[in-house]
Amino acid sequence: MTNPAVAVLQSALRARKLDRTLTDALPTLERADPSSLAPMDVASIDACLHGGLPRGQLSELSGPCSSGRTTLLLQFMAAATRRGEIAAYVDTFDRLDVASAAAAGVDLDRLLWIRGQSVIGDHKPRSHGGAEENNQESPCLRVSVVRDRALDRALKALNLVLQAGGFGIVAIDLADAPPRELRQIPFTTWPRVQRAIEGRDTACVLLTEEPLARSAGGLTLSLAGRSTWAGDSIRSRRLLGADVSVRVVSPRKRIDGNVVITTRCSH
Amino acid sequence: MFGALHGPEGTPPGVLADVAREFSPRIEIDTPRDVLLDLSGLTRLFGDARTIAEHMRRTAADRGVRVRVAIAGTRTAARLLVRHRAGLTVVEPGTEAATLAALPIALLTAIHPDAVNSQLPPLDHARGGLSDSRRPTPNSQDGRPPRRHRGTEKNVRDPIEQLSTLRRWGLRTLGDLAALPSDEVASRLGHDGTEWQRLARGEDPRPLVPAVPEERFEQSLELEWPIEEIEPLSFVLGRLMEPLSAHLEQRDRGAAVLHVRLDLVKTAGVARDVFERSLQLPFPIRDARTLRTLALLDLESHPPPAAIDRVTVAVDPTPARIVQWSLLSRALPSPEHISTLMARLQALMGETRCGSPVVVDSWQPGVFAMKPFAPSDTSLSHDGRQPQRHREHRGKNISVPSVPLWLTAVPSSPMPVVALRRFRHPVPVRVQAEHGRPSSLMSMRRGLSGGRVESCAGPWRTSGGWWEPEPWDRDEWDVALTGGVTYRLLRERNTNRWLLEGVFD
Repeated sequence: MTNPAVAVLQSALRARKLDRTLTDALPTLERADPSSLAPMDVASIDACLHGGLPRGQLSELSGPCSSGRTTLLLQFMAAATRRGEIAAYVDTFDRLDVASAAAAGVDLDRLLWIRGQSVIGDHKPRSHGGAEENNQESPCLRVSVVRDRALDRALKALNLVLQAGGFGIVAIDLADAPPRELRQIPFTTWPRVQRAIEGRDTACVLLTEEPLARSAGGLTLSLAGRSTWAGDSIRSRRLLGADVSVRVVSPRKRIDGNVVITTRCSH
Repeated sequence: MFGALHGPEGTPPGVLADVAREFSPRIEIDTPRDVLLDLSGLTRLFGDARTIAEHMRRTAADRGVRVRVAIAGTRTAARLLVRHRAGLTVVEPGTEAATLAALPIALLTAIHPDAVNSQLPPLDHARGGLSDSRRPTPNSQDGRPPRRHRGTEKNVRDPIEQLSTLRRWGLRTLGDLAALPSDEVASRLGHDGTEWQRLARGEDPRPLVPAVPEERFEQSLELEWPIEEIEPLSFVLGRLMEPLSAHLEQRDRGAAVLHVRLDLVKTAGVARDVFERSLQLPFPIRDARTLRTLALLDLESHPPPAAIDRVTVAVDPTPARIVQWSLLSRALPSPEHISTLMARLQALMGETRCGSPVVVDSWQPGVFAMKPFAPSDTSLSHDGRQPQRHREHRGKNISVPSVPLWLTAVPSSPMPVVALRRFRHPVPVRVQAEHGRPSSLMSMRRGLSGGRVESCAGPWRTSGGWWEPEPWDRDEWDVALTGGVTYRLLRERNTNRWLLEGVFD
């Protein structure tokens, strides 16, 4: 039998929304309510996710290059805009291909695209170029500073969008940020993001190479992809699409599973 | 009691209206040279009718206009008299018909609505008509809609023809026409005949329609001490926006354009002493906090070059939005929220870096356009595709910013489409080719892996824009490396350079 004093205390904490700071008092995620989920409109993934990504939570799409992260994100945003919701995409390093978004079915009128500065990986240092590495004005350092600034602005933009509210999907693209710079992001950033969307209809999605936020209420989709080709001869060969393996990771093991989906090229 | 002012030819527009407004708020602008005003109740302020007339004449003379003034019990009598007599004319109430009796009948063409609106030449002065200098001008110059024509061009000619008929009957003065039996006139000339007769008797055909002065939505504040920072300006703007917002709400208007004018303290290095900014708002807004925030964010991005000693805020008004909410719909953010968010994002990221993407009708790879983010207040139809929730109603924009919640079962796409992560500036790479096809790839950039090409498809040749400064002419390849990364690779044909355009992800 539950101690009444503990029950009263937990109730008071829940009323002040402080219960989520206590790991043992975390309320069960009510995934039975369809309105609390944002489906991707990909039947196999939605089935694996028991309906979709949770709203009011921070979820992640993580995986290496060509693993299908952007494809799934655009699919997610297309599904949201088809439902009439509005979506925001914080494009940290300006990587969105508008034609791909349109081909995925995203209603571009309902997409807020926040473009960061286009920075592509700095030059690899030469093995015998010690002087250049130490030079304060080296291109590597300049690129690093610009990238830091772009990252900082993207996080501020994400915060502004989340504070404004009203968006069905808010995604931030950190897929091209080097791990060293991602580690410099204060660890309080992601709990604050989680706190900003708590209880709202917004599903926040993080696009990364490695799982980063590991939110307690959100889901992490670890992706791995392999391109598929058509044509037997060299001349007839063409890129067909990709087979994307999705592994759903839930911090509390409430939802787990693997699914493989096939994507196709638009041309 | 009504007064009429008649100015000479060449009277600047608006002068007579300004003179009239100094005496009465109820004025009617007949033409730029003819203004009528309701003088009821003014005798307590200025004295008798003659004193009022002298005041008006003196006020007009102070503005450099020598006017005729007539005061009578009806507007029609005042208009007829001011057309006929120079100087001051005052008619005691009840004696209008007797005073008008001696006036020539051709004067009616100067005040009859249909005759005024017709473009026909008036009767000549020698035959008792008006000269060209007295020809009435169309009524549309005062900003009001022109009066209604009652028929075709033939009908428009009728008043002149009817007046000619009256003259053929031997009628020369207004008194002659007023003395005729009304039923006989009506039986011969119809309704128009009785209208002519009522005018001849000095009776008003309709009540006075006051002209509404053009409202200015503007607030200004002179500062005791100059402001040098943007932050203190927030309080000043807040103080100015509150009454402005209340004024807009009172008139059911919203701001389409927000103008901020800052008078600057003169400094040695600054030639301009006025700093002006105009914000084009995507939606009619009248919320004081939103307007203040937008103005502040804009000034933070474009700070004034010197200290400020006077702040003026003005808006261009537009009909306000009518928003209808529904319990069965998902609410979208209000335009005020979106405008504020966009202003904040543009201040953070840059003005051109936030908005909605637009696909451009071009074969050039990677080309796109941006437009302001303004999700239409539309919804989806029941097939989940066609938005249709926007309509105009009585000149007002009515929107339903909502999405029905029952539209959850939308058709899902059968298979996701592979997306390209595009490098906005293609990245140079070293490529080894065998038999014209890339066999290995090496990048000098961190984060872009190289390696042996496992599979490749291409080339697909595209070219275009030869008439522009930067044409494109290239071969495209899709290449998969042994590490699993798939790139879009291109070779510029004119420079033979290999570049990475993006990565399939």
